[in-house]
Amino acid sequence: MSGQSKKKPFKIEAYKHRVEVDPKYADRTWAVIEHAINEIYNHNASGLSFEELYRNAYNMVLYKFGERQYNGLVSTVTRHLRDMGKAIESAQGSFLDELNRKWSDHTKSMQMIRDVLMYMDRTYIPTNHKTPVYELGLNLWRDHIIHSAKIQTRLVDMLLEQIHRERMGEVINRGLMRSVTKMLTELGSSVYQEVFEKSFLDVSASFYSGESQQYIEVYNCSNYLRMAEKRINEEVERVSHYLDSKTEPKITAVVEKELVETHMHRLVHMENSGLIPMLVSNMYEDLNCMYNLFKRVPSGLNLIKDVMASHLKETGKQLVTDPDRLKDPVDFIQRLLDMREKYNEIITKSFHNDKAFQNALNASFEYFININNRSPEFISLFVDDALRKGVKGASDDDVDQVLDRVLVLFRYLQEKDVFEKYYKQHLAKRLLSAKSVSEEAERGMILKLKTECGYQFTSKLEGMFNDIKTSQDTMLGFYNSPYGNDMADMPAITVQILTTGSWPTQNINTCILPAEIVIVCEKFKAYYLGTHNGRRLTWQTNMGHADLKATFGKGQKHELNVSTYQMCVLMLFNSADRLTYREIEQATDIPGPDLKRCLQSLACVRGKNVLRKEPMSRDISEDDAFLFNDKFTSKLVKVKIGTVVAQKETEPEKMETRQRVEEDRKPQIEAAIVRVMKSRRVLDHNSIVTEVTNQLQARFLPNPVVIKKRIESLIEREFLERDKADRRLYRYMA
Amino acid sequence: MRRSSNRKSSAAAGSGSTKAASKEFEKIDHLFNVYADKSSAIIDPEGIEQLCSSLEVDYTDVRILMLAWKMKAQKQGFFTLEEWRTGLKALRADSISKLKKALPELVKEVSRPTDFLDFYSYAFRYCLTEDKQKCIDIESACQLLSLVLGTQFGPQVDKFTEYLKSQSEYKVMNMDQWMGFYRFCNEIPFPSLENYDSDLAWPLILDNFVEWFRENQK
Repeated sequence: MSGQSKKKPFKIEAYKHRVEVDPKYADRTWAVIEHAINEIYNHNASGLSFEELYRNAYNMVLYKFGERQYNGLVSTVTRHLRDMGKAIESAQGSFLDELNRKWSDHTKSMQMIRDVLMYMDRTYIPTNHKTPVYELGLNLWRDHIIHSAKIQTRLVDMLLEQIHRERMGEVINRGLMRSVTKMLTELGSSVYQEVFEKSFLDVSASFYSGESQQYIEVYNCSNYLRMAEKRINEEVERVSHYLDSKTEPKITAVVEKELVETHMHRLVHMENSGLIPMLVSNMYEDLNCMYNLFKRVPSGLNLIKDVMASHLKETGKQLVTDPDRLKDPVDFIQRLLDMREKYNEIITKSFHNDKAFQNALNASFEYFININNRSPEFISLFVDDALRKGVKGASDDDVDQVLDRVLVLFRYLQEKDVFEKYYKQHLAKRLLSAKSVSEEAERGMILKLKTECGYQFTSKLEGMFNDIKTSQDTMLGFYNSPYGNDMADMPAITVQILTTGSWPTQNINTCILPAEIVIVCEKFKAYYLGTHNGRRLTWQTNMGHADLKATFGKGQKHELNVSTYQMCVLMLFNSADRLTYREIEQATDIPGPDLKRCLQSLACVRGKNVLRKEPMSRDISEDDAFLFNDKFTSKLVKVKIGTVVAQKETEPEKMETRQRVEEDRKPQIEAAIVRVMKSRRVLDHNSIVTEVTNQLQARFLPNPVVIKKRIESLIEREFLERDKADRRLYRYMA
Repeated sequence: MRRSSNRKSSAAAGSGSTKAASKEFEKIDHLFNVYADKSSAIIDPEGIEQLCSSLEVDYTDVRILMLAWKMKAQKQGFFTLEEWRTGLKALRADSISKLKKALPELVKEVSRPTDFLDFYSYAFRYCLTEDKQKCIDIESACQLLSLVLGTQFGPQVDKFTEYLKSQSEYKVMNMDQWMGFYRFCNEIPFPSLENYDSDLAWPLILDNFVEWFRENQK
């Protein structure tokens, strides 16, 4: 122990033990590892000590021999791979098998090697930005095996050959295929794609192109479609079994293109088996197949839709312009309804209720139903028929359903105001002859129309119903009143009082009624005007009917149900046996055409000829004479001769109705023009036409020429003027 | 018979010009009386006829119409004193010879586009003889068109009048259609009718005319 010495701070010195690195240390250590790698590759790993190897590998890195180790790894593995490569190349029948086995060996070996070299993997490699061990193994395999010229081509060819065989119906080793493709995917998706997928897709394209060419010549449409469907499903299944899932959309696209898209048009238009025959024969399943297939390709569905639409338009147009069809309006409408039902079914069952198809159906119907300008009249006649007789054996719900379907057709009409006119006429006839099957059904129909078209459309119709009801009450009142309660010997009268304006009445002159009738009529008139001041009653002799008791030659009594005109004519024969046409005309003052029709129904119809005509010709001429037919017989006691059933109009009647419709439209158009101009103040011609059309299209489609005429009329009447600065504009004059 | 001397009372200052003015009216009035009907104090059709022969201008000549326009005459075939004064003063004419000389100037004046438009619409109104009348019959309209537009737009007028006479839908023509035709002549090249668009605000009668014309071209 020394005395006073300078105190030194306590220092811990670094361990200065110098490790002598034996230059041969690296060689020795590496040799151990290299030997191990060889053994591993030779399937001799069992004799190795993992712990020892790990320690050696660890030390290599520790003593800064990481690079040496790494490079050594590369060259050793490469050497082994070269050997493997040769083995694979020389494989004869079992190329893929051999390849697969070697791959298996390699990956297993690499796993073991990685475990051994784990320390390097975690330290040296990241620090020096080297590829990790396992990945390195993959890359080396890729470079030396897969990309080897001899192997790559053969590999791809073999794979494609197997696939081709399977497509042709052979069974192949899917497991092996799976392993090989998995190998490629593991090597990187670009490897999979570059090496295999691209060629696969190309080869598949030419395969299917060839197949489609072959089959399109031989198969009919349904069979071809099913074949295509089958092939697509096959490919999907193939992918799921042994290809990478990313290939699925690509291969299906190829098949879709080659099998479906290329031959789309030919398939659809195939004679006797294409789309149109399928539609005509309601081949729901085949249509569904086509829909599903075509959905996969661009514009596929549009093609089907367009062909269907043009077929519909053609068929529809033929139907509505066929003169035979036009003879029976009820049948005409029934056919249209059937057609619509048919296509509804097809769209629901085969086309997945696709909205675009529904729209095409509607557009086609709208197109051809308006080609025939009698469609509104016919629809009304159909409804008339249904409400008159009821739908055969149908319940209320069924009738309701039929009317709903008719309403669908109604919606397609462009000239709804024409329909309204006819509906009014037909309804009037039904109400006046009390011929509707059920008032509920009538009211129901009106309600439907109200929902469709608004209150305005149906308010007058409802007025008609009210009149009938009111008339019933009035009749009760009449018979209970002093005017009506002593009519024992007089004909019983029932009066329907119609409010002018609600009913489609025409201005006609009252014909000359028989004296007995006049008395009764006057009584009623007195009663009515007594209780309703300031009203005017006009007898509509063209709309009534009468029941006559007639006694014939041998005393047969019959009750004749006739129209008012017919009654007037027949009553004349109470005081004369024979009358000429002119005498009858003078005595009754019935208008010519009506009189002729009336006489015809009384004298020329078998079973109803209560009058005889001289000469016995079919048509009524003004020189004819008429006699009471004493010899008239009928099995029925009550004989119906009236002619009040709603019928398809004759040409002149049709022209008249149309004229009236046109007249009615003029004020509506003017009102619309004024409305538009009032809000817009100044507007150019085209815009007015567009706006006015928009406003009116719920009722009818206005003619642009008519609109122009109305505008000019309004200018003349100083509701509008032309803008002074720009003569293309119109100005509203407040 | 009113004399211009009545006017003296209204003019306060500038009596000198008034004097000259009244003198001017004196001559004008005097000329008026030459042609006016003695009892009605208005120049009637007969008087106009005489005037025409004095001017050596035909009764149906368009220049008479122009004169009427200058006068702002209200009723066809009649000139009142007021109107006479208005017209002749504007023309600075107080004798037949001066009036005759003024006519070519008048024609030139009328041909100016803005004046012509006024003249053109005036011509139509001038033909409305009845009180509430708004249209003139097709025959008269054709004649008027030839008279008024014949020189400027001969071919169009010929074709249009041909059309009007051949159709039966329109029996009269109204002011809107009248003005429309003038616009038509100005804006639409004839006979190509290239840029005529019936979707624009042309009167319907012109749409029909164009259609007829095109049909007959084929």
